[in-house]
Amino acid sequence: MEVESRKKALHYFFEKVVGPMGYKFAPDAELVDFLLTQEVELERKLGSPFCPCQARVGRRADDMRVVCPCIPFHREHYDYMKRCWCGLYVLKDETSVEDLPQIPYSEFLRRTGKIVR
Amino acid sequence: MFVEVAKVQDLLPGGMKMVKAGSDEIVLCNSAGNIYALDRRCGHMNSGLEWGSLDGDILTCPFHHVQFDITTGEALNVPIPDYVPDPLPENWSRFLNYQDNLTRHISICDIGTYTTKIEGDRIMVDIDSRKSSHKCF
Repeated sequence: MEVESRKKALHYFFEKVVGPMGYKFAPDAELVDFLLTQEVELERKLGSPFCPCQARVGRRADDMRVVCPCIPFHREHYDYMKRCWCGLYVLKDETSVEDLPQIPYSEFLRRTGKIVR
Repeated sequence: MFVEVAKVQDLLPGGMKMVKAGSDEIVLCNSAGNIYALDRRCGHMNSGLEWGSLDGDILTCPFHHVQFDITTGEALNVPIPDYVPDPLPENWSRFLNYQDNLTRHISICDIGTYTTKIEGDRIMVDIDSRKSSHKCF
């Protein structure tokens, strides 16, 4: 298995999944290439292309929520950030991932009033 | 030597079909009108690939979801682990551990490809043209 071939295949499949959700691959090709490489390595080791930026906890039900593209499991949070946690995907009208900071989930809940402190 | 293996109308775009050519079992794939011919058996555990799914140039085996590039025969990924309910009854768990020990060292190999051509409404495969990288991982 060549890493480059697998990256190309993942790119092909992921684009079909994230497109209808309003997302696209980040415009930063170097970042996309790096993250896909990490996912290929994780897939080779663990069987699924897990998000390289989020921890797995060892419970399948939870771990499956961070298999790329994990947007459906974190939709409100990512829509708010206009990017996924890694920055592999951004909303279609965004031109750069660097202007879109990661916002921790707890902060997202606080800002959107989903929890009252 | 080219032999007729199917008619063009037997294979719609996105479709696959198992054919025999001499002693070879071949799966024909129609990707956007281009016809590809590959070994029928998966390079992992020999499942019939025509029962899998074809998406663009990527064929996914129905058994453990190993994917192949139909243009080159290259294997693209490792098998995807099956869902196992948790907790499992102990006898199931022991059986699955046993099965896992048997299968964990099985390599995944690239599969062979054949040259194809269309003549009129006939799909022809050159049965002497089988190419394989013989790479396994």
